[in-house]
Amino acid sequence: MSEAETLAAVVNFARRDARDKLRGRTRYMVDQVRPGTLHGFVLRATMPSARIVNIDTSVARRMPGVRAIVTAEDAPGRFGIGIADQPLFASDVVRYHGEPIAAVAADTLWQAREAAAAIDVRLEAMPAVLTLAEALSNHAHLVHRDWKRYEVLLEAEGGRRGGNIAWEATVARGDTAAAFARSDVEIIESSFRVGRQSHMQLEPRGAIASYEDGRLHLVASTQAPWTVKNVTARALGLPPSRVRVTVPPVGGGFGVKYGCSIEPYAAALARAAGRSVALINSRQEELQTCPCRENADIHIRSAVTPAGDIVGREATVLMDCGAYGGEQIYLTTMTAHTLGSAYRLGAVKMTSRAVYTNTAPNGAFRACNGVYNVFALERHTDEICSAIGMDPLEFRHRNVLGDGDIGSTGQVFEGNVLGPMLDRMEAMSRSQPSKRAEVGERLYGKATTVGTWFVFVGPSAATVNLNPDGSATLVTAGVEIGQGTMMQSLPQIVAARLGIRPEDVVVNAADTDAAGFDVGVGGGRTTVSLGAAASVACDEVRRKLLEVGSKMLQTSPKHLVLKNGHVEIVGRAGGGISVARIAEHAQAVSGPISGSGSFTRAGVPAMMGCAAGHFLDSVDIPVFAVHECEIAIDPDTGHVEVLSYRVVQDVGRALNPSAIHGQIQGGVTQGLGYALHEEVTINPEGQIAQSGFGSYRVPLAQDVVPVEIALHEGAPSMGPFGTKGAGEVPILNVGATIACAVANATGKRVQELPLTPPRVLSLMLDRTEELDLRHAPF
Amino acid sequence: MAVRINVNGEERSFDGDVVTPLLDVLRNSFFLTGAKDVCREGFCGACMVHVDGVPVISCLTPVGLVDAKSVLTIEGLGDESDLVPLQRALEEGDAVQCGMCFPGIVMSLTNLLAQQPLAARDEIKRGLCGNVCRCTGYERIVDAALTLARNERRANV
Repeated sequence: MSEAETLAAVVNFARRDARDKLRGRTRYMVDQVRPGTLHGFVLRATMPSARIVNIDTSVARRMPGVRAIVTAEDAPGRFGIGIADQPLFASDVVRYHGEPIAAVAADTLWQAREAAAAIDVRLEAMPAVLTLAEALSNHAHLVHRDWKRYEVLLEAEGGRRGGNIAWEATVARGDTAAAFARSDVEIIESSFRVGRQSHMQLEPRGAIASYEDGRLHLVASTQAPWTVKNVTARALGLPPSRVRVTVPPVGGGFGVKYGCSIEPYAAALARAAGRSVALINSRQEELQTCPCRENADIHIRSAVTPAGDIVGREATVLMDCGAYGGEQIYLTTMTAHTLGSAYRLGAVKMTSRAVYTNTAPNGAFRACNGVYNVFALERHTDEICSAIGMDPLEFRHRNVLGDGDIGSTGQVFEGNVLGPMLDRMEAMSRSQPSKRAEVGERLYGKATTVGTWFVFVGPSAATVNLNPDGSATLVTAGVEIGQGTMMQSLPQIVAARLGIRPEDVVVNAADTDAAGFDVGVGGGRTTVSLGAAASVACDEVRRKLLEVGSKMLQTSPKHLVLKNGHVEIVGRAGGGISVARIAEHAQAVSGPISGSGSFTRAGVPAMMGCAAGHFLDSVDIPVFAVHECEIAIDPDTGHVEVLSYRVVQDVGRALNPSAIHGQIQGGVTQGLGYALHEEVTINPEGQIAQSGFGSYRVPLAQDVVPVEIALHEGAPSMGPFGTKGAGEVPILNVGATIACAVANATGKRVQELPLTPPRVLSLMLDRTEELDLRHAPF
Repeated sequence: MAVRINVNGEERSFDGDVVTPLLDVLRNSFFLTGAKDVCREGFCGACMVHVDGVPVISCLTPVGLVDAKSVLTIEGLGDESDLVPLQRALEEGDAVQCGMCFPGIVMSLTNLLAQQPLAARDEIKRGLCGNVCRCTGYERIVDAALTLARNERRANV
């Protein structure tokens, strides 16, 4: 791509959807329920583990307004991400409190709820495993007795399964036993535990399903229309071609809408009723069945020389997948690329297990397990520093990955990225006065952390139609969930490639009948993958445009450029023919101009034999972040106040700096919630204990500080114009940075998140019990 | 007996149960979907409307209580041709992301700036304690409101 195109691509192009959103005119899925649509309700189990003795729907079916009731008989298929372990409805056993048993469609939501209450469900309690330790104990109750019979949907060589271990991925590079046996090393061992985080996106999950001409049409609030299409088809036993998914603007996602969730229930009801059915979660249903960021136990130890070389590292990470494997099976892969990345390591041995428990299934949440692995990594790093007596910043400068260094799986990293980013952070930090003087009687803490994450590239398709008025239409299955990609970077990329204005690029809302496959909006991939596919589509459009333009201008395409909405002859600015005229001419002479493009991961090599059971042995586009904060702790209450927050983020190239700054402010805020007060807990009955914004506290305006931001550009990336995803990674280091600052302020070992006032107070008073991670041996 | 409400300057009536939440009447009977149904507990503020000029959480307000009153929803703010200055400041400040919380935030801040036209940063933040935004991290919203307060201050000099 030419320098001129790159210059044209970089612009703070304003969002075209802001105006309607500010006026309340945007129609999200929840705003599209028409009169006459039936209302759906899902009946859920009230025990975490039980045998289903009987389900009798006969009374409920005769109740007023009831149009359909569906159970496991109507949807026998099993689905999942790595393993097909999940049914739509429980049939023989219940595996979590809240598991769907039946769904009802009725004229009103009230009638549907009444009918659901009249379904006679007889459950016989079975033993339940509610914690990781229980699930991994000897003779533990098996959440899936038939785990061996499940279909494996994603193969990864060397992955192990068994009992309550849904998936195990391991890394082995070099001889850690020898490294730990060295006489010149200090061995530092750390244990960490984190709870679950709920997305609390404002628009709940929901769908409106219709059955038209023998096909299902789902209007869904999703990040992944093709996943919804495929999983719905699988669960209902239909060919995927019989399911169409369209997606209006989505009122927030953060990962909760990355998988298929509620849509197949609406689909099953619509098929049974022959009518349109709206199924929308209440806030309580949303929170209590939300596929949270999983709780996890992290056990890590390192052998470090007095000079500060990490010659050996071992780690075991246990991730609670809840009753079904879902995203966590896949995410076992990311331990290698977080705990085993960021720093140069000698020998490495790591085990990452996704563990079944009788709790609500967990899922994807912005930067997923990266958030707590970076928390563990950076707290462990600071424990190393205090053990060997080295300044934490000096240690980081000395050990962060640089050009040509290898990660835990043997992947070779390109470019010096973290080092210069640390320099940039120090310069930013020095330019501001310390807040230490402001804290008075409170304890002052400060910390700087590094983190690595990745862009989840994966397959995308795009079509670009050049219209006879000189505008272009971009057709993809990408979704606008608030991140701005569909409003800003994608039209910017297409416009820059075609020499037109971003205002003149129409972006089609996702429709699986119109757009080719896309793996979904998540993993920081949309600008990279959809942008790359769109850019390839533009190559074809450009070629056709220049061919026709060449004939019209009687000049070789080699001497033509696309600029200012015109095809111009090089060196003769201001002349040429407008793109509109060429498009119109082409339409009459050779047919309309369009192009199609596709993209998927290149597959950066790893070292043979280092990784087993990994779905990605290497990361195609690593992303780095450096965060710093200053905090004050009230010694009487344990309340932590954030005084300042700084971010240096690796963005490859910033196509829309304003949009990226917005993502960083928002992502850091969500991270502050995770670090300080957001926690989903499971009560003794196995139910999620929180039910809404009253019991699950998200950050409010008063909790937030303006984040000081520097964007690091120039790190290598295969993204279009060298860009990297920028929306996911801002949350990555926040838990780590706050935790390291709290440890710095108190001088205590911070091992858990969130750092609620009681937890901090208990740390300061030495009342915190040492974590017992015997169930997570190395 | 029907409940009579003036909604955005138009006389409307509702025949159903008087305990129906105002939010449901607006969304389901009058098809005004600008106020959002997010938590139904009064914490998130996404359903904020003004009743006789006072901000109320419409999900917790029985429609019977607004009989003979005037309700202003987000749809009634400004006119067809343009945004009100607060909306313009939010648009210019690139504050919007998913947008679900903005109808409520605009209604809250409209009232706050009417009551305290010279509001300072802390006052604006406090005034937003009943509005949850999960995307933006709030600062640009506060900045936009502050721009208006600053303009007001300048105009007073």
